[in-house]
Amino acid sequence: MVEFSPEVIETIIRASALLGAGFAMIAGIGPGIGQGYAAGKAVESVARDPEARGNIITTMLLGQAVAESTGIYSLVIAIVLIFTI
Amino acid sequence: MIEFSPEVAESIITIASFVASGLALIAGVGPGIGMGYAAGKATTAVRRQPEARGAIITTMLLGQVVSGSTGIYSLIIAIFLIFGI
Amino acid sequence: MKEIKDPKKLQKKILKTTYLIALLPIISAIAAGDMESLLGFVFGLVVATLLLRLKYNNIIRALNMDMESAEKFIRNRYFAEYGLYFLVLFTAARNPSLNFLAAAVGLFMIKFTVLLLSVKDLLKDTFQSQFDRYK
Repeated sequence: MVEFSPEVIETIIRASALLGAGFAMIAGIGPGIGQGYAAGKAVESVARDPEARGNIITTMLLGQAVAESTGIYSLVIAIVLIFTI
Repeated sequence: MIEFSPEVAESIITIASFVASGLALIAGVGPGIGMGYAAGKATTAVRRQPEARGAIITTMLLGQVVSGSTGIYSLIIAIFLIFGI
Repeated sequence: MKEIKDPKKLQKKILKTTYLIALLPIISAIAAGDMESLLGFVFGLVVATLLLRLKYNNIIRALNMDMESAEKFIRNRYFAEYGLYFLVLFTAARNPSLNFLAAAVGLFMIKFTVLLLSVKDLLKDTFQSQFDRYK
């Protein structure tokens, strides 16, 4: 039976927590694409109806703020993985 | 019982943090794709309605200001991982 | 914010509001005597201002192109901007007289301001419509 000393186990856990933080940040792709898509559609609809510009901008910014939240989740998880484990 | 010398443990953690920072930088691709989409839509919108040019530019500027931030999150995590702040 | 149609006026309004909001952390950093945070924050804020102007110029240039080359142009410019952000954060992390987290917050200040102004507009609209209904 193979046994590990406590230092080995600690090293493996620390290394995999750091790798996990890196993997968690890949989630940042999603909000980037989504927010850009929202901006493109908003621009299109401003061209279609310039009168409704104010409402379109408010809606676009709120939608982007909500879409941002998954990026912030991955940021929080990455920070937790780096600093607490 | 398997044991590591302290140098081996330290180098495993360093390698893991460099690989993880490279993975975190992948997230910078997303805002690029989204912003490019918005820019393409803006050009067709300006073709369609040249008199709404100012409105289109302001909408797109606001959208791009908000959508670029997930890339910065991934940069922050990558630099945390490299320097171990 | 949503009534402004001129892009230059919008930039001025956003920058003015950003600096007004930024006075609070700057004054509190001075009061606490934390010069590292103050310098890092001002560094991030200055870079964010310059990058907003760069973004505006890029958009103006992209609008005269056709669709595919505009996509490619803005994508390449975004990656250049990403490199600039990396350099700024790298400098803030390496330099002992700049606080890294303060520089990061300074970079985000313009985005916070835009979201704050849009929430203000939304609340104003909501209260206005409620007020009109009971009038």
